[in-house]
Amino acid sequence: MKKRRPQNEWSGKSRGGAAGYLTFVFIIKYLGVTMAYVLLSFVVIYYIPFAPGATASVWFYSRKILGKGVLSSLIFIYKSFFSLGVALIDKTAASAGMYNQFKFDFHEPGEVKDVLNSSTGAVILGAHFGNWEIGAPYFDKYGKRMRVVMVDSEYQKIKQILETQKKVETFTVIPVKEGSLSHIFEIRDALEEGAYIAIQGDRINAGGRGVEMEFMGSKAMFPVGPFVIAARFDVPVVFYYAIRTGYKRYLFHFELCKMESGPGYKRVEKAIMESYVKGLERVVRRAPEQWFNYFKFWK
Amino acid sequence: MIDTALIEKINTVLADEFEVDADMIQPDAPLMETLNLDSLDLVDMVVLIEHNFGFTVVAKDFAGIKTFNDFYHFINSRLDEKKETPK
Repeated sequence: MKKRRPQNEWSGKSRGGAAGYLTFVFIIKYLGVTMAYVLLSFVVIYYIPFAPGATASVWFYSRKILGKGVLSSLIFIYKSFFSLGVALIDKTAASAGMYNQFKFDFHEPGEVKDVLNSSTGAVILGAHFGNWEIGAPYFDKYGKRMRVVMVDSEYQKIKQILETQKKVETFTVIPVKEGSLSHIFEIRDALEEGAYIAIQGDRINAGGRGVEMEFMGSKAMFPVGPFVIAARFDVPVVFYYAIRTGYKRYLFHFELCKMESGPGYKRVEKAIMESYVKGLERVVRRAPEQWFNYFKFWK
Repeated sequence: MIDTALIEKINTVLADEFEVDADMIQPDAPLMETLNLDSLDLVDMVVLIEHNFGFTVVAKDFAGIKTFNDFYHFINSRLDEKKETPK
């Protein structure tokens, strides 16, 4: 593993404003989820030329990483943007109380259930893949609220949208503010209280530390932070992804990160990261169009 | 007055953990720069203090710490508080 400051980090900003989002909220509410998909199928066509950075990154992903041909890649770009839109629509519908319109399947081994049922805290590592938020309320069944570690700019955007809709979050956020270290203490305290701390392990924030790893056959940078936290605070680590498997249907995929006991947290940190990257590759290969890192991810 | 043994213990723990030459750790030297700490290293610092000195730190504890001397005083005062607190 080579440790270095990354050049291909996420800018910290996501595309799309509150107005567009609220239009979809209106359609979902009054015309239904399926009609929102229909509208989305046209909106996606606009995004392909008008989001050139994202389009270029999907093109690279399709051609160089997945090895698809030119025509397949053009179709894949459409599928990728459409999948992102569907994920946004579905999580909006679910958070608006339409949860029962969706079907959920579970890949939840007994060892994961044991961890989630125990009184100790756990780090839940996910990725910008699939639709993890749609599963956030599911964690309530264990009587604990999920606390999501999130860049403050993203959190403010979500808060603004929720305030417009007069809705409350289905999870509590621990914001990561630039120049502030308070999130480290919030994470530690939450873990000590037995909470689940959800962190996305695939994106490096501006100025963050990264490590080069082999992912999907090429070198990519992964953030160090989530793995330092998982290793240092000595709690179980669960990998969690919500993969869309069909029309209004999701698979919640859980894996327990198996950690050998022994000295040296750096060794543990490395083992968690390697296990995470391998596991992530397995799920991404299963549904490659649900990979939503629209920036230069690979070197 | 801070016990020399405590200062030595702190210096050894910091030098080992953050892989710096023990000679670089001087009372008036800046802590963050000398140890080359960023926010992630703070996770290490938090755990290191808990494991080696047996007390929990909070964000505001770090606010006034600029030099190693400040750090010695912080550790010393918290250990004193711990001794004085009835069990």
